[in-house]
Amino acid sequence: MQADRRRANAPAGGTAPPFFATIPRESLKRPTRTRKPDEHRKIFLRTGVVPSASGSAYYEVPPESDHTSDGLLIPSSSSLKITCTVHGPRPLPRNAQFSPNLLLTTNVKFAPFATRQRRGYVRDASERDLGVHLETALRGVVIADRWPKSACDVVITILEGEEDCFWGSAPQGSDASKGKAGGWGMMGVLAGCITVASAAIVDAGIDCVDLISGGVAAKTTSLGAATDGGALILLDPAPAEHDISAACVVGYLPSRDELTEIWMKGGVGGHSEALIDGAVRSATLASTVLAEAVKEAAQSRLGVSGGDDAANGALKGKDTAMTG
Amino acid sequence: MPLDTSTYHLAHLRLDGRRWNELRRFHALLSTQASADGSSYLESGNSKVICTVTGPSEQRRSGAPASNAQRDSAQIIVDISLAGFSGVDRRKTARGSKDRKVMEMQHCVEECFGGVVLGHLYPHSVVQVNVAVLSQDGGVLAACINAVGLALVDAGVPMMGYVAAVTVGSTGTGGGSGGEGEDADDPVLDLNGLEENELPFLTLATVGGGGDGGGDAGEGDKVNVLVMETRMQMAKLESMVAVGLEGCKRVRALLDAAVKGHGKKVLEGKVG
Amino acid sequence: MAPYANLPLSPAELSYLYSSLAQDPPIRPDGRSATQFRPLIAESNILPSANGSARICFIDGTEAVVGVKAEVEQTHENHLVAQNDTRDGERTGRPDPSSAGSWFEISIEIPGLRDDDALPVFLAAMLTEALLGDGELTLKLRINNRFHWRLYIDVLLLSQPLSYPLPLLSLTTHLSLLSTRLPALISEGDEDPLFSDDWEASTFLYTQPNSNAAGKLHQSKPPITLLVISAGENIIFDPSRDELAVAEAVVAISIRQNLLGHMEVVALRTIDAPSRLTASGVPRSLDATTGTNASVSNADAQALREEDEGQSVWRPPRGGINRAKLSQMMATATMENGIGQEVMGGLAGVQGS
Repeated sequence: MQADRRRANAPAGGTAPPFFATIPRESLKRPTRTRKPDEHRKIFLRTGVVPSASGSAYYEVPPESDHTSDGLLIPSSSSLKITCTVHGPRPLPRNAQFSPNLLLTTNVKFAPFATRQRRGYVRDASERDLGVHLETALRGVVIADRWPKSACDVVITILEGEEDCFWGSAPQGSDASKGKAGGWGMMGVLAGCITVASAAIVDAGIDCVDLISGGVAAKTTSLGAATDGGALILLDPAPAEHDISAACVVGYLPSRDELTEIWMKGGVGGHSEALIDGAVRSATLASTVLAEAVKEAAQSRLGVSGGDDAANGALKGKDTAMTG
Repeated sequence: MPLDTSTYHLAHLRLDGRRWNELRRFHALLSTQASADGSSYLESGNSKVICTVTGPSEQRRSGAPASNAQRDSAQIIVDISLAGFSGVDRRKTARGSKDRKVMEMQHCVEECFGGVVLGHLYPHSVVQVNVAVLSQDGGVLAACINAVGLALVDAGVPMMGYVAAVTVGSTGTGGGSGGEGEDADDPVLDLNGLEENELPFLTLATVGGGGDGGGDAGEGDKVNVLVMETRMQMAKLESMVAVGLEGCKRVRALLDAAVKGHGKKVLEGKVG
Repeated sequence: MAPYANLPLSPAELSYLYSSLAQDPPIRPDGRSATQFRPLIAESNILPSANGSARICFIDGTEAVVGVKAEVEQTHENHLVAQNDTRDGERTGRPDPSSAGSWFEISIEIPGLRDDDALPVFLAAMLTEALLGDGELTLKLRINNRFHWRLYIDVLLLSQPLSYPLPLLSLTTHLSLLSTRLPALISEGDEDPLFSDDWEASTFLYTQPNSNAAGKLHQSKPPITLLVISAGENIIFDPSRDELAVAEAVVAISIRQNLLGHMEVVALRTIDAPSRLTASGVPRSLDATTGTNASVSNADAQALREEDEGQSVWRPPRGGINRAKLSQMMATATMENGIGQEVMGGLAGVQGS
């Protein structure tokens, strides 16, 4: 990668990072799934967080269990924090080619501190890949022919990304100990990106055919979790908690019962349809939160809800506990 | 590993069994790709090159404003890419940051054809030439030039004549090693990869100037490209160039045969 | 914008194309049936300097060359899942399919695009995850506990990307992997690997059909990725460039043949349909030159267009694909003696030059 000359970068040689005493293996306990297989983690979603953008949203999946109890500074499982801003629709620059439709561009970027392994400032291949997935998901929802000669940018920053596996059980220095293996975390991130981008697009007032929401389901072969031996379809998997063998992300339009985005990979075997159905269920769960958050934002904008909120200029977020 | 040239003096046979003035197997095809305006595939020994030509087409408006010289005649843009699997070891060539060797080759080919193509017939236009080197085993630049020439012929771009390129090396190990000198310093034609690594060599391309531009033209040949990157005794140069000119003549005959063979096929296809 | 999306078709032409594709049975511009592949020219084993190679030309003039090169690489401890279970006590190293993604590397070169552009990155990711599948290729690349092969798969698209290049690149990759040979191993156990110099003795990465004709097990084959579009109620395989321009949804399905000889889906992705970038037509009632009511307000025009719903004039498709159609696509692709097996069978018949 070429050197990034636009920012003040860290010294090339690097400074000595703090070196912590090795954690005894025994004290590291792999987190286990406490929710039911068809239960989604809690989602926090709020729109209108960036006043200068035409639309914005913030999405968070907080970690389930309280990790201060095991005496470690590093949480054993990750959570997900994503912000999204939408700029536009705005007119295309003068010298650009004519376009009969709204040109949607997506830009997905992990913050450098988002994962265990530091991400660079320049987008890498996996981030570009996520961007293409997101673009595919959103293009089908936005009614693009209502904005000829205009463009719209969807910018997503992932403040905290999900890891691909449990780092604690992996040997020191390996990819897995940095939370990189299999790319399962990316799939959870994409589901979040779709949901948050949907909220931000609605916040920007861009016409859509439906409220799209993202959902992810995984197939595991972990012996502990499986009840009837063999594969188990899990909704909203936290990669630290499971041995995932295949996963599927969908971008789902609940009222049309359609998918604009499917991303399935891994050793699916014959379970592809069950996996897709699982992901759709997961997306349906996320869509209830999404609808709620969007509704609340709309109400406060119209001044329907409590006057206090309107006076503060802050839109109240929605923190919904979800059950299957 | 140094190239063992000791046996050369005994049988006057090279590593691959050729004599000093023999070319390697030369195989050329035209119109290999339907979607390009002109395309060619060329094998010279184990060096394999695919070339596609797009154009002459309208100059793209975006980008740097074209200078007057470019407006008056067609501009030839050559893009050479060495495939990662083309060498003995796999090498990743990042796009956008091409290494100097390839840039120089591109420039060389551009210059070579800039003088041969009758560009004034196509003002304000661009001929985009893409060359993919699939396998490199000596004489890559020569193979590229030959392939580009064939693809331009296939695209119907008017040229003064065939451009035929060949490499010539000298077997002298570092120059005039004493008594056995004279015949040890034989020039050798069309080096393969192993020889190219060891011997001083030059790449020579000529454009046929003798009227019909066919294989038998000779007197009017003009040297178009002469590239040498290695060090060598001045005295040997003349004999090497002489051998190279002879080699170019033979390559031109082969190119001519390829074009005529292709033309015949096209005609038969049209008639039958 | 993707290079293949830039298609000079008018709304009327798009509408005509779409309605003929949406008929039952569909009428395709080139007269093929819905599951028929275009003819192609394929050759394998074309390069002496690569472990495996292939070249495929589609009839529309797109052409790709793939070269596979293998290098021996030391296996880091972390690539092996240490399985010292208390039950069997014995410590066996098994390559972890999920972390072994770095055992092969796919790079895609498309003329006119940088290799970090969205399209090559997306295509490379798609081909990689199809190959990773359930980790079978990883097992094949393992030499012993300490060493493994590292495959470099270089994909060159030699022509301009006229249609979506994924099927072409995937088929070429499939063919090159079929022809890939690795030198025969002489050394035993965990010692440093030593290979036979005899290329004739080399072994195929994917076993050839004739080598164990008596074996009950079928040969596993590298995956292929098929492009499927939906138009109306129809699903159509191997769309041409024109057909892509009117597709409602484009899905890339990666399938492979497992050891039992069945086809199975290993990866699935939707692809952004280029039809969403096409221009919509103007209903007659809105046309200022012929229409009766030439002066309608913007909102009325909008409403009229919505009412039309793309019935009388072309409108870029909205929404996605429903699940039933998706299942139908997967079923058709993996059907016994279906298009997947047909394509693989055809490629298996390609002789090395």
